[in-house]
Amino acid sequence: MNSALSIRDLHASVGSVEILRGVDLDVGFGEVHAVMGPNGSGKSTLCHVLTGKEGYHVSGSALLDGTEVLDLDVDARARLGLLQAFQYPVEIPGVKLSELLREAAEERGVDPDETLARARELAERLGAVEFLDRSVNDDLSGGEKKRSEILQMAVLRPKAALLDEIDSGLDIDAVREVAAAVEEMRGPDLGVLLITHYSRILKYLRADRIHVMMDGRIVSSGGPELAEELEAGGYEALRQRLGLQPVTSAAERRPSDFFTDTPFDV
Amino acid sequence: MLALNATTLEVLNRDAPEPLVRRRVAGFDIYQETPPPSDTEEAWRYVEIDVDFDALALAERAGDPLAPGPFVSAITDAVGHAVVVDGHAVTVDGGESVGLTAAATLWLEGEAPRLVDPSVDKFAAAGFAFGGDGAALRVPAGVVEPRPVVIELQAATGGTISFPEVVVEVGENADVNVVVVYRSPNDVDAVIAPLLGLDVAPGGRLRFTTVQLLGDATTLVAHERARLDRDATLRVGEAGLGGALARLDLGVRLDGDGSSVEVVGLYFGEARQVLDYRMVIDHVGRSTSSDVLLKGAVEDEAQSVFTGLLRIAPSAARTSAFETNRNLVLSEGAKAHSVPNLEILCDDVVCGHGSSVGPLDAEHLYYLMSRGLSRPRAERLLVHGFFEEVIERLPSKAMAEPLRREVDDRFAAAQAAGRLG
Repeated sequence: MNSALSIRDLHASVGSVEILRGVDLDVGFGEVHAVMGPNGSGKSTLCHVLTGKEGYHVSGSALLDGTEVLDLDVDARARLGLLQAFQYPVEIPGVKLSELLREAAEERGVDPDETLARARELAERLGAVEFLDRSVNDDLSGGEKKRSEILQMAVLRPKAALLDEIDSGLDIDAVREVAAAVEEMRGPDLGVLLITHYSRILKYLRADRIHVMMDGRIVSSGGPELAEELEAGGYEALRQRLGLQPVTSAAERRPSDFFTDTPFDV
Repeated sequence: MLALNATTLEVLNRDAPEPLVRRRVAGFDIYQETPPPSDTEEAWRYVEIDVDFDALALAERAGDPLAPGPFVSAITDAVGHAVVVDGHAVTVDGGESVGLTAAATLWLEGEAPRLVDPSVDKFAAAGFAFGGDGAALRVPAGVVEPRPVVIELQAATGGTISFPEVVVEVGENADVNVVVVYRSPNDVDAVIAPLLGLDVAPGGRLRFTTVQLLGDATTLVAHERARLDRDATLRVGEAGLGGALARLDLGVRLDGDGSSVEVVGLYFGEARQVLDYRMVIDHVGRSTSSDVLLKGAVEDEAQSVFTGLLRIAPSAARTSAFETNRNLVLSEGAKAHSVPNLEILCDDVVCGHGSSVGPLDAEHLYYLMSRGLSRPRAERLLVHGFFEEVIERLPSKAMAEPLRREVDDRFAAAQAAGRLG
């Protein structure tokens, strides 16, 4: 049986800077995997490259339920069932979320009315009914935006969901809500790849596998105990245990590496 | 056909009421002294206008009115309906409660109001000299009529110039809703230079929507002036879709304390259309407010111009004034000029202006495509959303749906013809 997502030797660079240096990762259907790592380790780039954002030179392979997606346009990947929940979802004034979902259904040849009816039902469960008739992400708080992203996932039913820092910038109640929404989505037809900086959300969301990413590679994979180790000792302690040297010198690092939770995170 | 000269003036004035004769004679003097617009003038610097006044003539009688199109038909609850063709009021139906008449009849009652200054340009002067008919509303004090009055201004005869007038006088605390629709068949190379005067008495409320759907060979040079008395409210809606060249020169004077105006508009230029907006809002009274939002798109080789000026007089304490103009430039050959200005002569004000010119937002496109929308579908949804902000704020709800359809169709047609990018 295919994995929801199967990534092999994935490299990505911007100009001469290599950000992903050979990522291998398998997310099975029905599973939730968390990718953790310090800022600048390449977590968000992994999301962008899988989604199909322009501007990266990419090599390697990424199979979605057995189909190679790296040579497809962003919209074709989405229609095949690869969806990203963005860390910073853009606001689109004038375009209602319900219209977006209707168009997304039509593009897939799915009955738009049925899709919207299901969207209302799901939105009710997520406490997000009013989002549907508002412009996409317009005037939503940080937590509301993340809930709106999860709602779109739930409606569009991807095979693989990439959740990019869906816990960033949220207070603890909002993290709990978002985690509950992801738990709600979990099912045999979906694999979830959750990108996170902190282990906080993993208290409310059961990850089947934890992967630690450093310097563009997965350096360690394990069960929930890996998150606990990070919680206790941080990324530096793990780096020392694994005997890893930072690949980038301090001079090559960008300012965003010295802060946490900045919008410049790659 | 009547040329724009002294002989014609004499013919027109033969049986005209005395006040109109005086206005025409005075207007004709200005007309003769005023040169045609040239791009060396600030007011015309972005627009190439090529109108030969000597080659145009007045239509002696109205051509055949057009059948109601989707926009006029969308208004199902009109309280009055006037049709003006080639400068002649052809039909005036209903509207007694709001004082709807042919504009020519105003002159029988004495001096008609003149809010447009005839010396503003040669078109306005010509209107004073050779106009005199159109549609007028004199809404008595206290009359509240939410049902719209429809005024159609049409050009049916090629080679003509017409000067239809629209006069709206809103009495104290009266409330009225007017929709003006401009139309002409394609290929009719006529010029329409209407004079529109809106006068709102204390506490009066006027919703005034103009929808410009002229054919591809017709030129429009509209002068629209509004004056607001104490606590009066004016909501202007504007949609510019047709015409070879269409200019709206709008001036609003907030004379009365507490008066306010809101202008929301959209335009969509295709082929080689030129859509030109000049808007001057004068804040004179205290505690007045204005809010201008104009959004437009241009594709192919179309051009748009927005020149806005918010002028705050020294007397206009506690003014709030905002103007925003946003433009989508959808083809390489299309152009949008956006020039918002402020002239503030009073300290106690809150003012702001914003302007943008550019293609569809790449991040917005990426987001929609990441949801599985193809690029063309994502673009259509973004253009739809771009105009939605204006359409849902238009003072005429009835115009919303046909306008939505029109801008959606227009963009889809440009897309299908491969004219974008």
